[in-house]
Amino acid sequence: MTVPAMERLVRAARDTRGYVAAWRAAHPDGKVLGVMPMNFPRELAHAAGLLPVIVPDDQEPVTEGRALLPEFYCGFTRNLADQVATGRLDLYDAVFMADHCIQLVGAADVARQLQPETPVFFGMLATSLSDAWAGQKVAEMMNTFREEVEALSGSKVTDESLRASIAAYNADRRALRQIFDERTAGSTAWAPTELQDLVASAMVMDPVEHLALLELARAEKVGQPRDERVRVHLSGHMCHAPRRELLQVIEDSGALVVDDDLWTGRRFLSTDVDEVLEPMEAIGHWYTSRNGNLPCPTRVQHDADWDTWLVESTERSGAEAVIHLMPKFCEPHMLLYPELRKRLDAEGIAQLLIETEHEGIPLEAFRTRVEALVERVLRKRPAYA
Amino acid sequence: MTVTAPDRTNRLAITRAGGQLITDYWEKLFTARDEGKQIVWYNGGALNPIFQAAGVAWCHGEAFSARLAAQQMEGPAQLAGAEYGYSSELCSYSRTHLGCSVLTVQGEGDGSGVVGMHDQKELAARLPRPDFFVNNYAGCSTGQQWDEVSYRVFGKEVPIFNVSHPFLWGNKPDAGYLKGEEWDAASKYVADQLRELISWLEFQTGRPFDWDALSESMFYIKQAAELRREGLDLCKQKPAPATFWDWIASVAPINFLPGDQALVDYFAGVRDEIQGRIDTGVQAVEGEKYRIYFDGIMNWNKLGFLSRKFAEHGASVVAGRYIQNAFWQEPQLLNPSDPLLGMAQHYLLCPTNHGTRTLDHLTLKDCADYQVDGIAFHSTRTCRAFTGPQRLLAASAEKNLGIPSMFFEGDVADASFYKDEILESRLAAMLEVIDVRRERGSM
Ligand code: SF4
Ligand code: SF4
Repeated sequence: MTVPAMERLVRAARDTRGYVAAWRAAHPDGKVLGVMPMNFPRELAHAAGLLPVIVPDDQEPVTEGRALLPEFYCGFTRNLADQVATGRLDLYDAVFMADHCIQLVGAADVARQLQPETPVFFGMLATSLSDAWAGQKVAEMMNTFREEVEALSGSKVTDESLRASIAAYNADRRALRQIFDERTAGSTAWAPTELQDLVASAMVMDPVEHLALLELARAEKVGQPRDERVRVHLSGHMCHAPRRELLQVIEDSGALVVDDDLWTGRRFLSTDVDEVLEPMEAIGHWYTSRNGNLPCPTRVQHDADWDTWLVESTERSGAEAVIHLMPKFCEPHMLLYPELRKRLDAEGIAQLLIETEHEGIPLEAFRTRVEALVERVLRKRPAYA
Repeated sequence: MTVTAPDRTNRLAITRAGGQLITDYWEKLFTARDEGKQIVWYNGGALNPIFQAAGVAWCHGEAFSARLAAQQMEGPAQLAGAEYGYSSELCSYSRTHLGCSVLTVQGEGDGSGVVGMHDQKELAARLPRPDFFVNNYAGCSTGQQWDEVSYRVFGKEVPIFNVSHPFLWGNKPDAGYLKGEEWDAASKYVADQLRELISWLEFQTGRPFDWDALSESMFYIKQAAELRREGLDLCKQKPAPATFWDWIASVAPINFLPGDQALVDYFAGVRDEIQGRIDTGVQAVEGEKYRIYFDGIMNWNKLGFLSRKFAEHGASVVAGRYIQNAFWQEPQLLNPSDPLLGMAQHYLLCPTNHGTRTLDHLTLKDCADYQVDGIAFHSTRTCRAFTGPQRLLAASAEKNLGIPSMFFEGDVADASFYKDEILESRLAAMLEVIDVRRERGSM
């Protein structure tokens, strides 16, 4: 019996191990690269014949990992430490990282110390993007990544293979982005959990295979117009997916998600790699430009304002409120949050901060708070609306 | 009835002179505006010699937060930060300092300082507003983001310069402490940015940079750093003539005081006092029974308390990552006549900018050199950079040197994370383990 396309995407999103096992069976000599979020250019690894998988929070409770990282590290990094401690990270032949959030560095270091047989390569991409020399440093690091993935796979990344990988990831991103744009424009065809599965599966799968399934899944969907629920924008949640139960509670409480800037959402799709430029130049350009397209608190760029982006985004989608989803202990988000709050307050946009935890999220308390937000927005709605 | 244990600490007398130098420095900073000086707020590695040569007054953000915490004056700034929206789980150095920014921006009056507080004479109320920011944070991503947020709190109106530092991860087989291709490349990259910084300062000040003044300042700093190193080496003596806490009292001078003869004299005084103690058999902790290594950033609110607490048990805290592996700790790298490369290298050598592999090497070496019996890990609640590798370091010390360790909770600048009973019970438990192992002859 053929498994429906959507179900296959959901499986890949929720069972990385299963997908990787199937990929390995079909590619007996292939290697699988674990990629730490959020900025490593997977195109380079793909062009070298590797399967680059963005390492997800596998939503398992943290057990043995507790002994490796402090309890005040974010849930994602503690989950990574747990994946190492329990052997779950052995899924990957190597781990590559381009981001220097200090908590992510801590988790990657746990992997390197405890799994010495797995190479853990950390090439830090410049984070201060307003500097005149940032572009040059990024280009140098992209070349280093290229050499490293070639050494790992044993095959050269040719301009031709890189162009093909760029085109494949762009096509997949474009198709996903179209779905997100349709939601912004008013469609309610996809529930937030479904969209999360679409993006999470793209983080794991080969892009060509993903796109084929995505097209099939789309063909089965019928768009629905928006109803009267309060339109909300979900913001934040770096590096990993918010719990599906939480997304459900938000929509069950009288809110309708109309847009987001989540990592497992629009943030992941924000930027394509330019197909006109020389491919290596395009890869560097992709990194330096994506923070302008959707600013991230882990980067430092004076002219990229997440608060402004948020306000403009609510104008595009018609969102009446913003729900900040902040993973507990996520320092980049904690630092920027007051700037977001201040700006949204100034614009009169209702907002709610929900701090998420890896384990034991108090769903009922969240439900009450989202309901209160919904009430607040409804009271502000003009009588004729 | 509370019985106060006798104080068994014997602190270095010279640190009082250091305290005066520090007070004088802050007084000068608070009045710098009146003297027509521009003021820079900076974070991370000790850029002060560059600012000194550029003729501007400097305020190190972490040092200011630490000072507020050490004087129990962090409250108003932290409250202002909390009201503005900073979570109490955010690095307390950053939120104390950002709280100062918020107060400055919100302040009424002439806008020349942190105002709106009832006592304008208090330290927090006297920090002059910055003319520009420079960020020089290695290792910790929060350090870099913090200044970017300060820049935003000030409405993007205060110019900012960022120096970026590659994390010393050590990918290549030749990588190691002070060696390898990555170390060389990173050193050159940071030195190049320092040159850019100097041009930027020339633009901000409208004056040519005084390269001779930089060389002169680094000439003194190198001497001071060498004397500091000599003093640190003397503390390998058993029993220890001075402790980690004495060196903590000397952090401010080496971290941000001007490079001049007074700085050299101070560290010569420290070295000489320690040598004098060795010559006359004076101990830093009366009846030293245990030698402890301290890992973690300092808990500034509890400095005096901690030193007494360890000494109460006969525990001499002889060394620690924050002292041995920080603050111009490799003076042989400094070349006053061509200073930028060696300075860049020290910024890269921040004790949070190494992967665990290197930290492990440094910790094991220090523990062996100082004949350490146990490690106290200050599990610094809001400093993820320091705490990340601690569990791995503890496991390695146990495995490779047979050294037990303990963890106690606290924070750099927020006393609310500190739990006295936990420290007491865990310290006692570790010392018991040491006793048992000694009885069995395994230590
Ligand atoms: S950016 Fe936030 S979620 Fe990502 S690793 Fe850092 S602290 Fe964790
Ligand atoms: S978290 Fe620690 S290392 Fe990072 S900025 Fe704060 S005090 Fe500095």
